Parts: sequence; C-alpha cells; structure tokens
Amino acid sequence: MTPETLNRSNNSTQSRRTQRRPWLWIAIFLGPLMIYYFIFVIYPLFATVNYSFYNITPKGGEIVTTYVGLDNYKALLEDDVFIKKAVPNTLLWGIVGPTIEMLTATLLAFLVYFKVPMYRFYRFAWFTPLLVSGVIIGLVFRWVFNVDWGLLNVTLRAVGLDQFALNWLGRTDTPIWVVIFVHYWATFGYSFVLLLAGLSAIPNELLDAAKIDGASTWQAVWRVLLPLLRPTLVTVLILSFMGKMRAFNVVWVLTKGRPLHSSETVATWVQNRAFTWEGSLDLGYPSAMAVVWFGVVLIGVGLINRWLRRMV
Amino acid sequence: MAVENNRNTLAEADYSSRRNTIGKLRRNMGLVILTVVLLVFTMIVIIPFIWMTIMSFRTTTEILTAPYGLPSTLRWQNYARLMFDPQIAFYRFFINSAFVTFFALVFTVILSTMGGYGFGRSRYNFKFRGWLFVLLLFALMLPPQIMYIPQFTMMSRYGLLNSRWSLVLLYTASALPVSTYLMATYFSQLPTELEDAARIDGCNDFGMFWRVMVPLTRPALATVILINGIHFWNELLLAVTMVTEPTKRTLPAAMMMFVGEHGSNYAIAAASLVTAMLPVLILYLFLSDKFIEGLTAGAIKG
Repeated sequence: MTPETLNRSNNSTQSRRTQRRPWLWIAIFLGPLMIYYFIFVIYPLFATVNYSFYNITPKGGEIVTTYVGLDNYKALLEDDVFIKKAVPNTLLWGIVGPTIEMLTATLLAFLVYFKVPMYRFYRFAWFTPLLVSGVIIGLVFRWVFNVDWGLLNVTLRAVGLDQFALNWLGRTDTPIWVVIFVHYWATFGYSFVLLLAGLSAIPNELLDAAKIDGASTWQAVWRVLLPLLRPTLVTVLILSFMGKMRAFNVVWVLTKGRPLHSSETVATWVQNRAFTWEGSLDLGYPSAMAVVWFGVVLIGVGLINRWLRRMV
Repeated sequence: MAVENNRNTLAEADYSSRRNTIGKLRRNMGLVILTVVLLVFTMIVIIPFIWMTIMSFRTTTEILTAPYGLPSTLRWQNYARLMFDPQIAFYRFFINSAFVTFFALVFTVILSTMGGYGFGRSRYNFKFRGWLFVLLLFALMLPPQIMYIPQFTMMSRYGLLNSRWSLVLLYTASALPVSTYLMATYFSQLPTELEDAARIDGCNDFGMFWRVMVPLTRPALATVILINGIHFWNELLLAVTMVTEPTKRTLPAAMMMFVGEHGSNYAIAAASLVTAMLPVLILYLFLSDKFIEGLTAGAIKG
C-alpha cells in the first residue's frame, strides 16, 4: 500500500467514525478502569485533603470525627519532630542522594556503553538489588552495620581501624547516613540502566562523525553524548528525587526513624503518627502532613524541571 | 575465507568507535586499575546477598563468633525449621504473598488491557479521552502516603482490614497507571487493517479485541506482569498498614515481624530472607534482559 492510499483509507474511516462513535464499546473498555481508578485513587486523594481539616480518632470502637479547621496545619509548624528532624532529614536525603546517584550512575553507564571488559556481568550484578524487597535489604544491612558482629565493623577492626567501628544505627548522628547509603545501594542500578538505555538510543553515527572530525573520546563524551543525553538525565534525576521523597521500606526496616527521631523522614513520621502512635491515634494530623509534603515534592520536581531543561 | 573474516573484523574495528576507545585504553594500565575498581564496587553490591546466604546455612553461635566464616556443615535444617516449625510456619506467608500477587496481577491485566485498548485505538477516540489519559497518568506522581490513610478507613468501613483482598484491591489500583500506559502504547502501534479484517470476518468490537488484538500484545503483557509482579511481591507500606493479623501477612511484613520476635536467631532469619528472595532471583537468572527492559519501559513515561 502506498502512503496515499493508507491516508485516504484512514481519512474515510475516520470521517465515518466521527459520525457514529461506538460509545457502548468505549464505555465497556474504559468504564471499569476509570471507575476503579476513581474509587481507589482519586477519591482517597481528595479524602486526604479533606481529612487534614478534621480530628479523626477512634473512641470505643467508633471513629469520631471533629472539624478543626486549620489546626492540624498550625500544629505542624509547632511539631519539633517534623520541623527539626523529618523535614531536614528528608531534604538532606533528597539533595545528597540524587547527586551521588546521578554522578556515579552516569559514570557507570558510560563505562558500560563503551564496553569495558565484563560489562555484561556488571549490568547483571548492579541491577540485582532492584528486584529484592526493601525489607530484605533493610534487614541485611541492619546486620552489616551491627556494632558487634556486623560485616563493616568486623572488617574495620581487622584492618586496625577500631576507632571507626561505631554503633552505626545506635548513635544519633550516623543513622540517616546509613539510610542514605543503603538506599543508594538499593537504587543506583535503576538510574544506571535508564541512563544506559538513553545512551544506547543515541545514533552511533553521531559519535562516528565526531571521531572523523578528529574529536578525542573525552571531547565526544562532553560535546556530543552528554548534551544529547540531557533529557534522560533530567528525567532520571526527577525519578531519583521522587524516589527519595517517598521512600519507606528501607528506612522503616533499618531504623523506624529511631533513635530519638534522628533518622525520621516524612514518610516514616506520617506512618508513625498515623498507625503506631501510642495513646492518641489521629488520622487527621498525618493527612495534613502528607498534603504539605506532596506540595513540597511537586514544587521540587517543578524546580528541577524548569531549571535543568532550560539550561543549555 | 580466513582472510575475508580478518578483513571484516579490521573494518569493524576501524568504524566502530566504541571498540576503538577500548583499544586505546588497553594500551595503558588504566584499564587494569579501572577493572579492579569496578570489581570492588561490584563486590560491595553482591556481598550482602552472598553473606546472607552463607549465614542461612550456619548456626547463630557460629555467626556471632566468626561473622565472615564459612559454614562447618550445610545446615539445611534451618530451612526445614523455618518452613515447618509450627511456631514459625513460614510457608503460610508464601501462600499469602502468592495469593495477593496472583489476584492483583489478574485484576491489573484485565483492567489495563481493556483500558489500554480503549485508550490506544483511534477508533475509540472522543473529545475528552486525552484528558482522561492525562488524569490517569497523573497518579504516577502521587506518593502512596497521600492516599493510604483514606484507603485504610475505606477498607475498615467495608470490613476488609486484615483481609488479603484489601491488598489485592489496592495493589491493582497502584499498578493501573503504568500498566495502562504500556498497553495503550502497544495497542496504538498495531495496524488499523487488523480491525477491518476482523470486521469482515464478522467480529464485533469485543471479538476484535479478544481474538485479534490481545494475542498480539504478549510482549507488553509480559512486561506488565513482570514489573508489577515484583512490586506486589515486595511491597511493605500497605502490607503492614492494612493487614495486622499475623497469619494473614505477606512475606515482607512477615519477615519484619519474624525478625522482631525471633530477633536473635539470625540463622533462621537469614534463611527467611533467602527463601523470600529466591523466586524472583531465579526468574532473573533466566530472564535478566527481559527484566531490565521491562523496568526501563516502566520508567520512561513521558
């Protein structure tokens, strides 16, 4: 079929179709999906916003709801754990985590792109942590960082660095860094394969042309490959940032935000306040926290997007 | 023949700039150092898995006295105890996880295949379809924390708390946006002639969908099943929130509980981690390229 006949047949069928749209079939195919989506995603989304104006506590088997206006949001400003621990920790993570991840994952993606020896093995190995549950990763690293018999401390002591064999998860200054490291360990492979896919999508001819023009490998990387990779880099950065902002599994298993809230993140604080808060279970307050935090994440993503996509 | 082959590889080496680069590197020591660095880095990635597998074959005393050591004998008893000791009976959590993963996958596949067909084919286009699609994809931005409190009260209202069905329903919801996106993209690439041919053969729209189109989407279906299956198998936040009754937990929640209760029995705990991880890793060994492709496809969502 020539392109013209293809077009003509498309046009004629389309004009026929605009006259009689198969509404019944549209409803049958899209209806179940959209109804399901509205019940289980859109409704809860708005309900969370609604909840944030209420006090919702179970009393004697019944859930009691009282309207409190903006009280939950005001309480948020006076919540020391939220303001002084959860937010700074999560922001620290959201800045340090993606930075390290982007730098190393880009480097590794280039190395595999240029086919260093054993590149297939590396790709296979680096991707493995992504398939393993955050629970398994968290528990293994709880053991790795164990003060007495953990792999890290045993190794440090074996090479005579006893003073660095700390109680990694028991102090107040190190746990958040352990969390950042373990999450990096668990997710860098994702950024790596996405960047590798982005690199492989760049036509080989461009690189060859640069070579013919006398460019060195470094020049080709800096002047040709990196600029062409930029859209992928921005996408991967956004995915990585959003990943840190919502991460729950690894932190929850490693520390639950302990000790003394020193590794509390917004995700664990919402969970702690909503479902493990002893004494006064209240679903309104954590809802307000989730709403504020979602706003912050949206702004963060918007900033990354505007700022990096424009930069030349 | 030999000469011809030789010339071919030479020509390739000239034109393939990638191989050239390696050739240059090989001339100096750089490559050796680079390989050592990469191997150390890769060891850091792999060692925790190897360590935990070795741990699972030792006794807790052995682990505590010599964390690095190898097992004196392979203690398969650890696994037997983990699975069938009536106090632990870990197999129940396997059944729970398999149940939840299976039914959530069935729901996801049905809804996203039909929805993907409706969104992907130009035959079903109407004025606000694009908007609806954007609304659906909007959920990719949502962290689970922004929805799970009302989801919890919803499940509590309908008596589904502590039921595995609550997880089936919510996992399906979380998987729909990306799955529908993947299916819709795939369906939109199938030629219109297939519809015409099916119509001539007397199919109605459902027959067109079921007999002609769906069998052609097997690669996309495999991706949807793979990426969501891993996610359902490993999920923790909803699993600990919706299900608190010990016997109904899925594997991730059970492992957390188990390590909390039998915290000092590291050998059995390690065995529980290895068994939970094994099904996915075995699949990965055989289908690693498919896994990597699938997770990459799931992320590129425009």
